[in-house]
Amino acid sequence: MKKMWKLAALATTASLLVAACGSSSSSSDTTAAPAAAATDVKVAVVYLGVPDDKGWTYQHEQGILDLEKNLGITVKRVENVADNADSEKTFEQLASEGYNLIYATSFGYGAPMANVAAKHPDVCFQWATGAKFLLTKDGGGAFTDFAALPANLGTYFGAAEEARYLSGMAAGKATKNNKLGYVAAFPIPEVLRGINAFTLGAQSVNPKATVQVAWTKTWFDPTIEKQAAESLLDAGADVLGQHQDTTAAGVAAEAKGAKWVGYNSDVKEAAPAAWLTAPTWNWGPYYTKTTKTVADGTCPADEYYGSMADGLVTLASFGDSVDADTQTAINAKAEEIKAGTFAPFTGPITDQDGKEILKAGEKAEIGQLLSMSFFVKGVIGSAKG
Amino acid sequence: MRSPIRIVFEQRSETPKRLSILVPLLSVVAALVVGALFLLATGYSPIETYSNMLSDGFTSSRGITDTLGLSTVLICTGISAAFAFQMNLYNIGGEGQLYLGMIGGAWAGLALGDRLPTFVMIPVVLLVGSLAGALWVLLPAFVRSRLGTSEIVTTLLLTYIAASLVKHFVYSPGSFFVTKNSAFPQGRLVPDSAALKGIGDTSLYPTFFLVILIAVVLFWVVKKTEYGYRIQVIADSPRAAHYAGINANRTTLSVMLISGALSGLGGAVLIVGPFGRLDPGIILLGYGYAGIVIAALARNNFSAIIISGILFAGLRSGGDKLQISTSTPIHIGVMLQGAILLFALGGEAFRRYHIHAVRTERATQ
Repeated sequence: MKKMWKLAALATTASLLVAACGSSSSSSDTTAAPAAAATDVKVAVVYLGVPDDKGWTYQHEQGILDLEKNLGITVKRVENVADNADSEKTFEQLASEGYNLIYATSFGYGAPMANVAAKHPDVCFQWATGAKFLLTKDGGGAFTDFAALPANLGTYFGAAEEARYLSGMAAGKATKNNKLGYVAAFPIPEVLRGINAFTLGAQSVNPKATVQVAWTKTWFDPTIEKQAAESLLDAGADVLGQHQDTTAAGVAAEAKGAKWVGYNSDVKEAAPAAWLTAPTWNWGPYYTKTTKTVADGTCPADEYYGSMADGLVTLASFGDSVDADTQTAINAKAEEIKAGTFAPFTGPITDQDGKEILKAGEKAEIGQLLSMSFFVKGVIGSAKG
Repeated sequence: MRSPIRIVFEQRSETPKRLSILVPLLSVVAALVVGALFLLATGYSPIETYSNMLSDGFTSSRGITDTLGLSTVLICTGISAAFAFQMNLYNIGGEGQLYLGMIGGAWAGLALGDRLPTFVMIPVVLLVGSLAGALWVLLPAFVRSRLGTSEIVTTLLLTYIAASLVKHFVYSPGSFFVTKNSAFPQGRLVPDSAALKGIGDTSLYPTFFLVILIAVVLFWVVKKTEYGYRIQVIADSPRAAHYAGINANRTTLSVMLISGALSGLGGAVLIVGPFGRLDPGIILLGYGYAGIVIAALARNNFSAIIISGILFAGLRSGGDKLQISTSTPIHIGVMLQGAILLFALGGEAFRRYHIHAVRTERATQ
């Protein structure tokens, strides 16, 4: 019993001592020289998974490899970091080890990253798929308003819906029974936007096409993704689309002789016969440009939303079964999107219940896109998950 | 002809004092040696790796606060497991009870809002979280005490349901726990009145001291009270307990409920501490399962759990940071943590048994 108390007292004293040391060292951090000189930018990237997932992380890794080649620097990879409150320690550690530009590629890193950014104004943080609104009190975050957010935090993402529309065209042409399926992660605006764009693209070449949605409630889980894909195939779908991180849906489609539109990466080899195409990302130019900007002394704090026009969003190569006419039509549409003469969300658009959302010729505004919460006509399933 | 050698495990009637200290120490050393072989084989310096792991986990100031901060929840799940294990009740569903603690704690924090002061809110959130954890073990506890149904299966399976519940509450649009109009499913932060600040801006929260206190109180309860005596008697011999007039069913029920409440407390500690919201990310962390190992390392001794919890937290925290401080891949860090635990548990055999080799006399015909 006596030993017990001694121990508890020891632990208590030790932790109090440490707490005192901790606070003094963090205050000295804030007085460190701000902004990196052109030569000493030290870059780290935090990944949710591993770079060889052939999906989301793999695609970012390609961009980071580009960055290393272009600027002749070495980037620190931190892999397998769960995107919850625990990740704050990882960001804190990176900042204190002298990394002054930190990219993080999952949504869940936002709040922990913002906390660390506030403590380290000399370190630049960039949050992929982020939305600053969600860090504010109104959005469920900890900061009172936008003005209270750290100025050394930016976000980056892009309009995948443009390439999804194009991939939908390939799917609409490929189907024999007009039944498309879609393996989808979460009922949130980003995913709903993608499903709607895919559906509109398919309907533009095949007005009878319908898209049935199966929710997985996970970004990354090959087993669940495969099960959802198989349930859609069993229900009669002969082409699958997806908003998931792995190629599981493609493998399932391949086994059933169906067709498949992937996502994130150009990975035809995962399901060669099923492969049609995929919306993908080209992160290299973004990483290179942003790193240069930081090296020159500025931390971009804006919310970058890339597109096909600036090359962030692209369409992967076509599969063998996509005929020349379809390819030509898709490429022509891609040029219109890049030139700004066509937007996937252009009226007339009605929702599942036939309610008019956009009048003929009317284009959706960015706010409408970012808060999308409905399915367009032709989607089978619930937009509430 | 020489007779073959046989290894004999002879149970010790009493463990020599020096072995109690020597065996865990040598186990860790053995694990480090094996880990070093792996590191050398893969081209990393064991000395650099170990010194970084040590400083990231135990000696640097942030290493220590991170370790103690993480140990808070691990000690909760450790004492939760040990409290049931000491009566041979295998509640291995601490993980799920922890999720329920998070759900309950977040619910209390959000439902009460900013109306109450912090010194009321924090205890309420911790209490509701604990109750939710106890609630999650109620069914397994009931069927175990009345029907003798194995609690191993029921508590484990309920963990999967608890994980689905967490996902449901966060990923269903319009759920009470999530931010309205959010572009992404994330739990709402509990109000400031239900959120503690890390001590000196570190990841160590005041709840650490509460949890230490609870571990100490449990140590006392088990050793000194009549309730603790009853638990010991039932654990040693249920039949003897029956003849002594001890109601084993009722004790089973209460021990299970307390065990569940302690894991639930672990979840609530995360709500008032580092998480602040219901977050499905908890499902990846395995704090509840870790409690089983921590209890086993400490041989269900509540004072030893404080040590093994801190040790485990330090290994984990230092190991997780390895890939930042050195170029060691994350997998090496995970492997080292596993090796140390495996050796420490394996070392138990030397403590409990006198192991020696003997020549067996072969019968000649």
